[in-house]
Amino acid sequence: MTTDTDTAEAEVEAPPAAKRRVPRHRLVLAAAVIVALAAGGLLAFTEKQRGASPSANRALVDAEATAKAVGDVSNALVKVLSYQHGDVAATEKAAAQLLEGKAAGQYRALYGQVKAQAPAQRLTLTTRVVRAGVTRLSGDTAHLLVFLDQVSTRNGKPAGGTAAAQLAITARLRDGQWRITEIRSS
Amino acid sequence: MKRVPYVLLALSVAFLAWSCWTFWDMRQGEPQDMARDRDQAVTAAKNQLAALNSMDAKRVDQGLQSWLDSSTGPLHDELKRTRPESRQKIQKAATTANGKVVDAALTALDRRSGSARVIATVRIEVTRPGAAPTVERKRYDAALARTAAGWKLKSLTALPANAR
Repeated sequence: MTTDTDTAEAEVEAPPAAKRRVPRHRLVLAAAVIVALAAGGLLAFTEKQRGASPSANRALVDAEATAKAVGDVSNALVKVLSYQHGDVAATEKAAAQLLEGKAAGQYRALYGQVKAQAPAQRLTLTTRVVRAGVTRLSGDTAHLLVFLDQVSTRNGKPAGGTAAAQLAITARLRDGQWRITEIRSS
Repeated sequence: MKRVPYVLLALSVAFLAWSCWTFWDMRQGEPQDMARDRDQAVTAAKNQLAALNSMDAKRVDQGLQSWLDSSTGPLHDELKRTRPESRQKIQKAATTANGKVVDAALTALDRRSGSARVIATVRIEVTRPGAAPTVERKRYDAALARTAAGWKLKSLTALPANAR
């Protein structure tokens, strides 16, 4: 309010009721703005807390989603880390479908050697999941710890017994299917 | 036109009520409690698995005590029963081990019965007298029980290759 209007009001000498009505509307409006700002602030704070709160990690809290991630990733690892000398194409196809990003690159480098040697040496590799658990699950990203046992044969005979492998896996959910994006030895 | 501020006030109050409810809902409830329990169980398991895979040959009694502190139930009883033997063996071998959990994941959590299962990989640096340190890697499946002093390991199974 400027001094001009103040003097104008003083000169006109408006009735007291009219004088009060204008500030009341403004007061109500100001109150509405303050309340809305408070609500917005609380909402922002809530979202920030939610991100930092333990339940942002859905592992085990959402039993169904946890089981789905464990199942998909276990199946993917078994398919991708098993091959038969006669059918390396099946493993390659599975890898193309179930691996993404960094994991796909890591795998191509590794599998290139296998593909070259497997038919000549009649290699097979069978991978079994021993245990698997989800360390972190939020939205479409999951981190898992997977224990594997791997048995390889050369010319139909066991080669080197059973090997134990422990992998820390990062996976992404796309089109209802978890795909592996990163594989790290644990 | 005069009603507009009142309508806005009513709307903003409703917005505040809703955001208060959202805040309350975030702080409350089963998922939050379960997530907190899960994180506590994993943290306890990591510390205790590290302790149970560590031993300072110069402080055997202290090491054995931390084994007992890290366990409950059958595992605790077993460690207590074999304590004299363990002390003798460790003192004789004079081996120092330093275990660290690399990764750990809870595979089951039952809040009602206060039990949980965890899988973990542990990297152990072993130093034998007169030899260079070697590194061992172990993987475990362990069970936890909730005690008055928090989550503790009640059983521990190493999973070498071909274990069931």
